[in-house]
Amino acid sequence: MGKILIVDDTLFMRTLLKNVLFNGGHTVVGEAVDGEDGVAKYKELKPDLVTMDIVMPKQNGIEALKMIKAFDPAAKIVMCTAVGQEQMVKLAIKSGAKGYIIKPFQAPKVLEEIKNVLSA
Amino acid sequence: MSEFEAYRGLFVAESRENHENLVRNLLLLEEGTYENTIDEIFRSLHTLKGASASMGFSTMEHLCHTMEDVFSLIRNGSAEISSDLINLLLACSDLIEQMLDDIESGGDSSQIQTGEQVTALKQWFTDQSNPSQDGTNGMEDSPVVQSNDDSPEKTGAQNGEESRPQYDMRITVAADCQMKDVRAMLVLENLDSLGTILSVHPSREAIDEGKFDGQLRLSIASDAGEEALRTAASGSEIATIEIKSAAQEEEPVPEESVDAPKTVEAEKKQTATADKTREIKNLRVDIHQLDHIMNLVEDLVINRGRLKQIADQHRIKEMDEAIAMVDRSVSELQNQMMIIRMIPLNHIFNRLPRVVRDVAQYDNKEVEFVMEGGETELDRSVMDGLNDPLLHLIRNAVNHGIESPEERKRAGKPQKGFVKISAYRDRDNVIIQLSDDGAGINVNRVKAKAIEKGLITPEAAETFTTDQAIDLLFQPGFSTADKISDISGRGVGLDVVKKAIEALKGTIRVETTQGQGSRFELLLPPTMAIVDVMIVKINGKRLGIPISSIVEVANFQRNATHRIGKGEAILLRNEVIQILWLTELVGESEHCEILIVVQYQKRKCCIPVDIVEGKQEVVVKPLSSFIGNTRGVSGVTILGDGTVVPVLDVNTLV
Repeated sequence: MGKILIVDDTLFMRTLLKNVLFNGGHTVVGEAVDGEDGVAKYKELKPDLVTMDIVMPKQNGIEALKMIKAFDPAAKIVMCTAVGQEQMVKLAIKSGAKGYIIKPFQAPKVLEEIKNVLSA
Repeated sequence: MSEFEAYRGLFVAESRENHENLVRNLLLLEEGTYENTIDEIFRSLHTLKGASASMGFSTMEHLCHTMEDVFSLIRNGSAEISSDLINLLLACSDLIEQMLDDIESGGDSSQIQTGEQVTALKQWFTDQSNPSQDGTNGMEDSPVVQSNDDSPEKTGAQNGEESRPQYDMRITVAADCQMKDVRAMLVLENLDSLGTILSVHPSREAIDEGKFDGQLRLSIASDAGEEALRTAASGSEIATIEIKSAAQEEEPVPEESVDAPKTVEAEKKQTATADKTREIKNLRVDIHQLDHIMNLVEDLVINRGRLKQIADQHRIKEMDEAIAMVDRSVSELQNQMMIIRMIPLNHIFNRLPRVVRDVAQYDNKEVEFVMEGGETELDRSVMDGLNDPLLHLIRNAVNHGIESPEERKRAGKPQKGFVKISAYRDRDNVIIQLSDDGAGINVNRVKAKAIEKGLITPEAAETFTTDQAIDLLFQPGFSTADKISDISGRGVGLDVVKKAIEALKGTIRVETTQGQGSRFELLLPPTMAIVDVMIVKINGKRLGIPISSIVEVANFQRNATHRIGKGEAILLRNEVIQILWLTELVGESEHCEILIVVQYQKRKCCIPVDIVEGKQEVVVKPLSSFIGNTRGVSGVTILGDGTVVPVLDVNTLV
């Protein structure tokens, strides 16, 4: 069970993910609509884990990930990705992402990844 | 699918925004604006793809995916943008719009035929990628971003590594894992934090390039111990981990499954509710719900009036105070509802560049289109009625206004025509101006056409002023276009535009200079539902006159009236103003003592009334649903005492 910040530019994806996380017993402490917002909310809310979309306006997920990591090297960030974005995710992992979940989201897989990353 | 039914509305609403963004940026791209444009297109497509995949709309997902692939080539610079490609992509975005319509009405987008466009995109893709690339890259994995690997592979034992215990590990990624190479990389990164990886197979480069078959073999030097290494390597989608100390050369450690299904159900707890109140600052509401609330507010406004009257009649002081409080709340509620219902004009404006482009392309014209003031807000009901007239005017401006490049050259104008739409708020009104630097309206041709159509006689035409002639354009059945075009034709003329604008309680005005262009100006009330009216009485009957059109209230001196032709006028402060008797509406009255001077644009007239009862905010209900449009009356309102009172429509009266 963790406090989670969702960073995604679409309300649709945030809502889907929020419900999955909520049903898995997690607490969504905040939602951010782009990378910049994500970094700001991370600093403000200090969540246990961040789900980070990659393709976003203003600041993409990789840049936001780097900013958060610079602020808190222990930050646990799970990338939200899609088939075809392997290179992006690899880049994210090299920059310190701790996991990834693939759209379309499958609730059991999402929850397993979140749980594993939280307990690591 | 059914589990996602609840998200359908949200999906459609958000996808429409992304679709709009897509079209807008495609047009920018066509004009040669590359900065951010490609990223924006990519982002919109990506979001559309992801959302449609989540909803299970595979036809739409497939289309977006194919478009995205095309853009990944453009983005990494290995393909050029041509106008053919833009046309194809716009056609594809039209399909997306059709799909969204289909999905909105309960479908799943599979009815929309996409074969032709998808094939064309794929053809383009192969054409572009074959000459430049080695051909092994399918559409699925075209490189998106060049990864700059800043952690060079550590091969062989480095200084001091011999002193640390070494382990050989064999890690298998679960067969159903969707991105095995990414998972492998995650494992390597996790192990990196515990020690030094001495060798790894497949190599990091190979994994980076996606060459990974599911099993990772590596040796690592680490002080962390076997258990810590096992934990670091384990995680989601890891099937087996074998680990042995490099010193021991015994039989392999039996495989151990770490992929024990962790029951999710057990974790379903309601602990989250405490923090749930945070963070939700915006929400989307179905417009029908808002309409319903608006109706309730309107009822409340009517009933507030009724309560006020009762309190007045019975002179109950306590009730007066209570009503004053209710009054304040109702007014505030009303204001807030108005604000909530306001949406920016961009909702319509965003579609216009595409319209201009299509018409210009069809007519072989060159047009620069500028929009300003799209953030100006209007009530949703006004917005709904404004869409078609605006589209029509825009089409007209390009189709009839702007000349062909050759004609423009001959006239000494820049080859590219200029069309501009701007909107701004002016006190109580929203003004939308649409101007072009085209040929302007040929007044003589308008007159000739009107004579030909039998709208006016040749004699009358002689006496017509320019303004009067332009008014002819708005007559039913008038069209100056020599031939009916597919684009602006459609069988509607400016008369329909005018009617639509008037139905919104707005007005339309045209200024034109031959050879230099035309300007259409729409004046619209930002909201229609609630208006300030003056309640007057004539012949014992009540009428409402919108305050916004009243310029003066004066004493009516019968002896100051003069007959002019058929009508009657009065001299008021050196101004001759026509008198408008409302006999037809309310019957004759002998006791008219007050004159209400109303104005519409530059025309004034005055209405004699018996008495003025006061000013009131009322809800105007349109007549159209039961008796059709009546000239001079915009609707009715119900006063506090239950009487139904017509509200005058000054625009059509004057």
